[in-house]
Parts: sequence; C-alpha cells; structure tokens
Amino acid sequence: MARSSSSISTGEQLLSIIDDITLISKEIIDNIIAMKHQKLCGPEQIQLTDLLITKDNQLKETLKVAADQAKVNKKMDLLRAEVEKLDQDIQHLQRQLKEAEQILATAIYQAKQKLQSINRSNKRPVPSEDLIKFAHRISASNAVCAPLTWQPGDPRRPYPTDLEMRLGFLGRLSHATGDMPLNGHMLQQTSQLGDMHRSGHHQEPPASQQNQFAWHPSGEIHMAVGQGSVPMDTRNHTKDNEDVEVMSSDSSSSSSSDSQ
Amino acid sequence: MIMENSNDNQEPPAAEVTSTITVDDVDVDFLPIIFDIVRGLERESTDASQKPPGGSQDISQKLIELHKKLELARDQIKRLPGVEYSQEQQIEKLEGLRKQLRLKRELLLKYRTMCSFDIPKI
Repeated sequence: MARSSSSISTGEQLLSIIDDITLISKEIIDNIIAMKHQKLCGPEQIQLTDLLITKDNQLKETLKVAADQAKVNKKMDLLRAEVEKLDQDIQHLQRQLKEAEQILATAIYQAKQKLQSINRSNKRPVPSEDLIKFAHRISASNAVCAPLTWQPGDPRRPYPTDLEMRLGFLGRLSHATGDMPLNGHMLQQTSQLGDMHRSGHHQEPPASQQNQFAWHPSGEIHMAVGQGSVPMDTRNHTKDNEDVEVMSSDSSSSSSSDSQ
Repeated sequence: MIMENSNDNQEPPAAEVTSTITVDDVDVDFLPIIFDIVRGLERESTDASQKPPGGSQDISQKLIELHKKLELARDQIKRLPGVEYSQEQQIEKLEGLRKQLRLKRELLLKYRTMCSFDIPKI
C-alpha cells in the first residue's frame, strides 16, 4: 500500500495501519484454519507474520508521531487563543477608530460650515453704525426694555402696547379671519385700528381709547441714554412696525390684559 | 451487537473528553491476543482427538475480544488531538499561526505607537 505521508493525516495513517492489522490477522487465522484441514504449512504464513510484526512496529512509530503532534497541537491551541485575543484587541481598536473618525468628520463638517459663514460675512460686512441704528430703531418704541426714567403711570411701556399689538401681524391675522376674538371690545378696536394702519396715516385714536393708549402724536420719544436724552425719531414707526412687533411677539399674551 | 450499541450510546460523553485523551490511552497491544488465538487454533489442530471441550468457545471469545479491541483503537485514534493533519501539514499550520500572531502584534504595536494627531501649526 503506497502512501505519501505528507498528504495523509496521521489519524488516517493510524486507521489504515489498524485496517491492515485486521486484514493480516484475519488472513493468518483463515490460513491456520485452512492448514488444519489441508495440513499445509506454507511460507506464506511466515510472511504474513512478519508483515503483522512490521505493521505493529509501524503503528507504534506512528503513535509516537501522534504523541509529538499532540504536543504541537497544544502549542497551536495556545497560539490560537492568543491570536483570538489579538483579534479582539484589533476589533476593539477598529471600533474606537471608527468612532473617532465619525466625531472628527462631524467636527470638520461643522468647522467648514462655520468657515463658510465667516467667508460670507467677510464678503458682505455690515457696518456697525447700521447695526446700532437698527438697534435704536427697535428699542425706540420701548418694546425691548422700559425707559430708565419709567414711573408708574408713564404711558411708555417696556412691552408692545395693545395698540401696537393690534397693528401687528397677529392682530391683523385675527381681524382677517374674524373669528376667535379675545372679547367683543377688542374686536371692535381691532377693526378700527386695522383700518387706521392700512391707511398709512397716524390718526388720533378715539377719545375713549386715548386714556388707555396714550401715544405721542408727534411720534417723538425722548430716551434717557447714558449722558443725556437722545431724541429718537419714531415717525417711520409704521414702516418698521412689523419687524418690531414680530420680534416682541413673545409678550403678546400679557399685553392685552395689562393695558386694560 | 448489543455491546456495540451500548458503546454507540456512550459516544457523546466520550466525545466531550476528546481533549483529555492521549496516545498512552490508546490500547494497541493486538499481538498477544492474535498469538493466543493462533496458539489455540494450532493446539486445536494438533490435538484434534483430545481437544478440551471449551477450546473453540475460548477462541471465539478471543476473536470477539480482538475485534472489540480493534474497534476501540479506531475510536480512540479518531479522538486523538492533533492527528487531523500530517506532521508536515501541522508544522506548516503552526508556522502560519506564528506568522499571523506576529503580524497582528505588529499591527497593534503600529496602532499604539502611531503619532496621535498632527496639530497643524498656524
């Protein structure tokens, strides 16, 4: 039986040797039984016995190899365990790198957006004077904070007055739809004031409302800012009215009740 | 047959102790039994006239024993650790594993000693 030991596993070699031993022993026993009847004693029997002994020796040699391989197998198991551990380490590291990559990608995206907005603002710079002018315009109507010299009874308010609210976007909205009025009185006022606003002229409010909503007919309010009073022109109030009131619409819920 | 079946039934627990079996546990002493059988047969043929009454029964008992021993040896060999490869293949595999381990260690070392981040100098 020709075998190349390099391609056949040791286990298979051992099994095939045991098969051989089985066959040879069977042959020997068969021969003996045959000899018993035919009274023969051929050289075949001696050959078979020699072969059996050779196979037995071969089996023991191969078992020694198997013992060596078992030792190597132990080493391999240790190596495999170590490789497994390193694999886990590598995977852990990879996961961390992936997370870091994600965080960095987000940071880079945000930074790019910020740079874009910086570039945009560099291209179209807004003069600080304009900004200050606009800020004055917003605060001129006392919509942002109360005047420093404010006293109880002062008609100027630190919030939009009822009149201003009604002139604003929300007031016009409720007028346009015509439903869900807060009360009947307000509905009446809203319609009057809405008409007044649309006409684009400052008219004197009706006498009944003048006490509640005292408004400087001249449109000039004196603000005490720092060193002295600064005259602020609010005559273009109607033009900027919408901006101002949209910005201060947060206080709209309380304005109507306070002014009553 | 009954004995073999009972052996078959005990297979799963035997498979669990695969790692504990060693070459020393494998019983490969077939020659003494074969010798006993051959001697018994020869004695039977020479003393055909005055053979003992239980002679052939003893031989058949030995034959069964030999058969069982061969089967047991086959079973034990299948459970031996590390015999699924030839010696050369096993050495190759071992080298492969060592190489793998070395490469993975190098990779991890590379990651660990990697310069953290280049801070651009503005």
